Amino acid sequence: MKKYNLKHIMPAVLSLLVVLYACDKSYLEVPASGALSQDVLANKVGVEALLVGAYSLLDGEGSSAGTGNGPWATSSSNWVYESVAGGDAHKGSDPGDQNLITPIEQWNATPANSYLDQIWQQRYDGVQRSNEALRVLKLAKDVTAADVTRITAEARFLRGHYHFDLAKIFNNIPFIDETITYAAGNFLVANGPALAKIEADFAYAYANLPETMSGVGRANKWAAAAYLAKVYMFEKKFAEARALYTTIIANGKTSLGVKYALTPHFNDAFNPAKKNNSEHVFSVQMTVNDGTGAANANSGDALNFPYGGNTGCCGFFQPSFSLANSFKVDANGLPFLDESYNNVPLVSDMGIAADKPFTPDSTTPMDPRVDWTVGRRGVPYLDWGLMPGSTWVRNQAAAGPYEPIKHVFYASQIGTFTDGSSWTNGFTAVNYPLIRFADVLLMAAEAEVQGGGTLAQAMTYVNMVRSRAADPTGFVGLATGKVASPTNYKIGLYTSFADATYAMKAIRFERKVELAMEGHRFSDLVRWGTAKTELDAYAASEAKQGYLSMTGVKFTTGKSEYLPIPQAQIDKSVQAGKSVLTQNPGY
Amino acid sequence: MRKFLRLITVPLLLLGLVANAQTRTIKGQVVSATDGKAVAGATISVNGSKVAAIASEDGSFAVNASGTVTLSVKSVGFSGKSVSVPASQNTIRVALTEESSQLNEIVVTGYTAQKKKEITGAVSVVSVKDMKSVPTGTAEQMLQGQASGVSIIGSGSPGEGSNVFVRGITSFGNSTPLVIIDGVQSAPGDLGMLRDLSASDIESVQVLKDGQAAIYGARGSAGVIIVTTKKGRGKASITYESFYGIQTVKQGNVWNKLDPQGMADLYFLAAKNSGQVDANGNVVSGQYGTGKSPVLPNYLKYGTKSGYNGAVDLTKYNNDYSKGDIFLIVPANKTGTDWFHELFKPAPMTSHTLTATGGSDKSSYLFSLNYFDQEGTLLNTYLKRYTARINTTFNVKNNIRFGENLSVFFKDNPRIGNNQEGNAVNNTAWEQPIIPVHDAGGGFGGTAGSELGNSSNPYANQMRAKDNKNNDWQIQGNVFAEVDFAKHFMARSTFGGRLDNFYGFYHNYRSYENAENGASNGYGEYSGFNQNYNFTNTLSYSNIFKENHSLKLMAGYEVLRVNGRQVGGSRVNYFSDNPNYLSLNTGSPIGQSNYSNYYNQTGNSILAKIDYAYKDKYLIGLNGRRDGSSVFGPDNRYGNFWSASAGWVVSQEEFFKSIKFINSLKIRGSYGILGSISNVSALNQYTLYGGSGGSSYYDLNGTSSSTVMGFYATNLGNTKTGWEKDKILDLGFDASVLNNKLDITFDWYKKSIQGLLFQDQAPAVVGVGSQLPQVNIGDLQNTGIDLGITYRGKINNDLSYTVGANIGAYKSLVVNIPGAAGFFEAAGTHNTGNQVRDAVGHPVGAFFGYKIAGIYQSTADVASWAKETDAAPGRFKYVDVNHDGVIDDKDRTFFGDPNPAFTAGLNLGITYKQFDISTVIYGSFGNNVLNYTRYFQDFYPQFQNAKSIPLLTQSWLPTRTNTKYPIVENGSYFSTNGVINDFYNEDGSYVRVKQLSVGYTISPAVLKRYGIEKARVYLQGANLFTFTKYSGLDPEVAGSSVSFGVDYGNYPPSKTFNVGVSLTF
Repeated sequence: MKKYNLKHIMPAVLSLLVVLYACDKSYLEVPASGALSQDVLANKVGVEALLVGAYSLLDGEGSSAGTGNGPWATSSSNWVYESVAGGDAHKGSDPGDQNLITPIEQWNATPANSYLDQIWQQRYDGVQRSNEALRVLKLAKDVTAADVTRITAEARFLRGHYHFDLAKIFNNIPFIDETITYAAGNFLVANGPALAKIEADFAYAYANLPETMSGVGRANKWAAAAYLAKVYMFEKKFAEARALYTTIIANGKTSLGVKYALTPHFNDAFNPAKKNNSEHVFSVQMTVNDGTGAANANSGDALNFPYGGNTGCCGFFQPSFSLANSFKVDANGLPFLDESYNNVPLVSDMGIAADKPFTPDSTTPMDPRVDWTVGRRGVPYLDWGLMPGSTWVRNQAAAGPYEPIKHVFYASQIGTFTDGSSWTNGFTAVNYPLIRFADVLLMAAEAEVQGGGTLAQAMTYVNMVRSRAADPTGFVGLATGKVASPTNYKIGLYTSFADATYAMKAIRFERKVELAMEGHRFSDLVRWGTAKTELDAYAASEAKQGYLSMTGVKFTTGKSEYLPIPQAQIDKSVQAGKSVLTQNPGY
Repeated sequence: MRKFLRLITVPLLLLGLVANAQTRTIKGQVVSATDGKAVAGATISVNGSKVAAIASEDGSFAVNASGTVTLSVKSVGFSGKSVSVPASQNTIRVALTEESSQLNEIVVTGYTAQKKKEITGAVSVVSVKDMKSVPTGTAEQMLQGQASGVSIIGSGSPGEGSNVFVRGITSFGNSTPLVIIDGVQSAPGDLGMLRDLSASDIESVQVLKDGQAAIYGARGSAGVIIVTTKKGRGKASITYESFYGIQTVKQGNVWNKLDPQGMADLYFLAAKNSGQVDANGNVVSGQYGTGKSPVLPNYLKYGTKSGYNGAVDLTKYNNDYSKGDIFLIVPANKTGTDWFHELFKPAPMTSHTLTATGGSDKSSYLFSLNYFDQEGTLLNTYLKRYTARINTTFNVKNNIRFGENLSVFFKDNPRIGNNQEGNAVNNTAWEQPIIPVHDAGGGFGGTAGSELGNSSNPYANQMRAKDNKNNDWQIQGNVFAEVDFAKHFMARSTFGGRLDNFYGFYHNYRSYENAENGASNGYGEYSGFNQNYNFTNTLSYSNIFKENHSLKLMAGYEVLRVNGRQVGGSRVNYFSDNPNYLSLNTGSPIGQSNYSNYYNQTGNSILAKIDYAYKDKYLIGLNGRRDGSSVFGPDNRYGNFWSASAGWVVSQEEFFKSIKFINSLKIRGSYGILGSISNVSALNQYTLYGGSGGSSYYDLNGTSSSTVMGFYATNLGNTKTGWEKDKILDLGFDASVLNNKLDITFDWYKKSIQGLLFQDQAPAVVGVGSQLPQVNIGDLQNTGIDLGITYRGKINNDLSYTVGANIGAYKSLVVNIPGAAGFFEAAGTHNTGNQVRDAVGHPVGAFFGYKIAGIYQSTADVASWAKETDAAPGRFKYVDVNHDGVIDDKDRTFFGDPNPAFTAGLNLGITYKQFDISTVIYGSFGNNVLNYTRYFQDFYPQFQNAKSIPLLTQSWLPTRTNTKYPIVENGSYFSTNGVINDFYNEDGSYVRVKQLSVGYTISPAVLKRYGIEKARVYLQGANLFTFTKYSGLDPEVAGSSVSFGVDYGNYPPSKTFNVGVSLTF
């Protein structure tokens, strides 16, 4: 056998290893799979798609952000933070089900409540998607100047929307523009009032968006105008708001060029078969059966259907006693602006088993919108027949006898406007009307009163809304064709607004009943400065009528107006030992 | 391994023979001093020359020598012996004394093998015999209690993975050790390779726990489990091993549930406590009537009616959606349905193994077949696995060997989502006893109807799942070649890996019986593959200089790759539920969905190892490795890892020779820097864009059923992310005392995880819908001890026994989390938020929430305590931790630690004549379990599902104040179940007799006439006794390392009785 020499072998082998190793560096360069790099997207098609990605979070889900508690924490309708906290509705279901909502309902949520962190995450994800479109737009070379302007305006509209949702809920928020990125490490941004910057985004969108757009779901000039006017209202810039509302009511059109108008029937605004009609100013578009397992349906409201029938699942979002009572009217068909509607509550089937007889009140005069808003026993429930009472209610003793309606699908729409691939029918294609024309009219009425207009014009706006509701062809029963309408409907028009105080009372009440359960109530009350009186009265009244969750609950002025900044976000924003996020007062 | 050493030495020795051919031949035989049997494979060398030989199968050998010579005879497992052979003597018989000490065990320490006595690191050598005595289908579960410092937490679910932690949890993410089987490395963080290994194929298992694992560099930090499979040897033989057993089910009211009358009474109690009564003081119930006390109904549901007592028209019954409106007729089961035992039933378990083996100096082979079939005690869960293995080696020429180890298996293993809220186990707890399994029309009973809760009939679910399949076939193994050259060198090249192909399908039925039913039926399929391989080339040098200096060098180069691909799809709205009809094609394209994804990750490394020993007394080991990985950015692509260790065999010193009762003592220490990349994805460095229908498409056109393409930033990259550097310091000793009867191994260690890789915790303003990268985020530290003791006793020739014990104890500490507020929260549920906080100064996985000081007894009590939301008599009084007079978020505190104070395993074996008795006992002490299952059972407002007995009999009332259970109310409060508090915290300590068996070996004389060489039969009980205070189903709660010790609903292990046989032909 040949003799080998150690002196030669070891160096030879080692150098071979080193050579192999060195040659193999490219072996470690593994391209990313199933994804695109930024340069592939830096063109018109790519930027347009990034913009669509920013739109897609309007539905409150589709992002991994904010999913920890389920999409209900991040619903586009803000039903938890606006309608439940604002007294339109009870949480519903069993008391322990999603019981993180309860403290929000009771205006004493703590900063660790993970619902708050969820919506914070989801909305900021929307902000960053909007910013991403802006950032990549700057890199794209093949976009025309007109498209650059439009895309910028759409992205800023969306960014304004996502920030505005957060501003309504948290007030003091960091405003995140397109210069803030993870990569740049400049994301520790302090929080504070952000309405001025939000206003700037909508103002830009209003100035630069075309009137008509390629899709009805896109924001156009008038959607931006309406949103801008709404921001003015929150900023108490009533004169600016009034001027803008006047322009919108005169000239506003949908993205497809249809002039803004109230639809003939109240329920048309919610019926998915009639979506994106003349009343649509800006709506969140929902789709079903699109191959995504209901990921583009209105998942945020998927719990909010009667329980025990085929109407869906979970029995959440039950209209409050006070809301149902609010639809009582006087002999003239006008609401009880003196808040006396709770004095003698509407007779309900609370505490009456479903097999025991119950006859719904057929004598007290009622605003007909009640039965398009509050599902009550013995009254037609869309085309489902008569609402059967407690067999459709999950835990009546704990959460009351009423069921929501506005976002509920018709029995005849199962399979077409509901998704067939999920665990409940409650994943629907019912759009969420973020701003509808009735909202514009009622805000305009407020602006008239407070922004230098006339009480008469304000009353005209309010009466426009009431007239539509008064059309008997739009009453429950007749409209659904199955049964006769209840006979005690009555709705009258205002004949005069005596003074500004009365006018404001009337307008505020009109917003309550017209826009009930639509996610506007709590921030309206805060904006008006009436939250403490309204909500303390609400809590006392609900507790008295049997809703124990509100027993002893009080609104704390100077604190309860806004929810606390999520503790998790404060903790993650520490710089030099101190968080850049300041907690809201009182928490 | 013995074979392996022999393979190395044969050619070297033969070389010597060729060189010295001119003298006399000494012939001899090597035998065991104990029983006189031949010792095959012993090496015989002629001192002072290079002449040597290997004893053949019958122990015989021949060496050439001239004059008087001294022969050194060595064999693994025996004490070496030197014998002088006078010039006149040509034959000799050498009797070797068997060494019983573990110190001579061969241990694979990463690319090389050493005797335990030469080792300077901390290695747990598992007693394979004890390990295999535990009957289970997953090899990792067998390791429980077998190695100090290795904790295994399993479940009773057949084929389910277990948590395996070496020296505690070392990450906020994946803490899974590296598994190496016959040199094949597992994919990062994946135990799959070990899980399905057929137990009978295992030859040895060793666990590297300290810095020495640095030879595995970036993958060694969480420990390395090294498994070697059996090789062929000796004369051809066939072994058949089999057992059959019955797994039994825990008896009694396992969930401590109320019966139907109790549930009704509880409903009335809650309504009264909550003031929810009508004007007459009556409680109104949809099931139990309106009145002062409940009346159980005859029917839970009759059409749209609940609580029905009238006449029934069975012809109205319909549970078929295609035939019109559903009309259910569900009788109340007034005596109560025992849901747990409707689902959990005694189940058989069987295993058959046939092994053929044989070998010579030229080649060896092992061929084995295994069939393992475990039915789960839970309906329609099972593991069926068919495994074949072929291991062969061939010696080509004298200095070249090659061979392969190959295992192929197929398994069918439908499981439930173990320890996940809402799984079948949970539903057995939640489903009310008044609900019948079947309704009056032959369909399933369920929660449809008032006040029955929202659980789904678990029996129906499992019956409907009976046609689901979860199939998997895998090939794993390696091929290798070794060449000896230039006397002291060996080059080895090995290529090995795993290919895992899985496919399955599932049916979703449109249920009708539940309160919450799906909108449609459906069917889905999925399939994919995962593969990983490593190609390793090493060069070893081994020599002894001047008799006293032993030097071993090894250098190598390695390439790794891990990749895989998956695809799946589903459709809904099938015309028929007939399983034979269902394929993706036959469903409705409306609402269809599909997906695919793939991944790819590569690595390469150079590595080197030096072991030096002086006079077998002073030992030094050094190893180093440079790893490259595709998961890191270009600037951080390579990381260096190393370790140094030293040992001093004190017992070899002259001054020690007088200490008679200590036979050997080695003191050793090691320090190393290792890493972990289990938590880094291949995409980590890239900022990427993408999108899918669900995540970024949007219906711009208002169609209600279609969307427009959209994209978003799916991943935010971080090229700065670098390697985790984990420092492990280990000090220990190995001792054999009392005539080598007692072996003790002790280690103290400090494991500092530095630059722990975990997902960045940036604030949400960066857009956390984009995947944030893994960054080097914090530091952890585990300090602990491992102790292993083995005692072999022999009372007389008929009666001998062994005792093996091991104890592992560690203290877990989060040392640093820079950048954030010093903690992460984890293990959240949508009901209560996070339950676990990993915070600086606290152990990993600590439970975090409010502490209960007691129950408010009166309004005066409420007034005198700190201000607490919802405080009222009968509700929890929380501790005002920060003494600010208000109970809020800031009063949350750490109330439980899932890390055990220590875990211990005990193996006992007794042999009396032909009988043998053995037992394995395992215990975990001082750990807490957060029993989240109580959330649903012990709080009334948490869904109207079944509740536990104490709610009725022990809950607070003005007249019943001395209790831990708050008042029962139909309302949910901060002061009861609204937040996580220490009501759920329980002592999770337990001791379990894992197995106890009695065997009988039939005497060879009897067997001979049947052509059987050896036969043993045994009776065995597994999980015979469990001692614990834990109130849930079972204290052994497997979770992820972030929700460690949180019981969401765990498939309990079963008490099993087996009978088994082992035959060798």
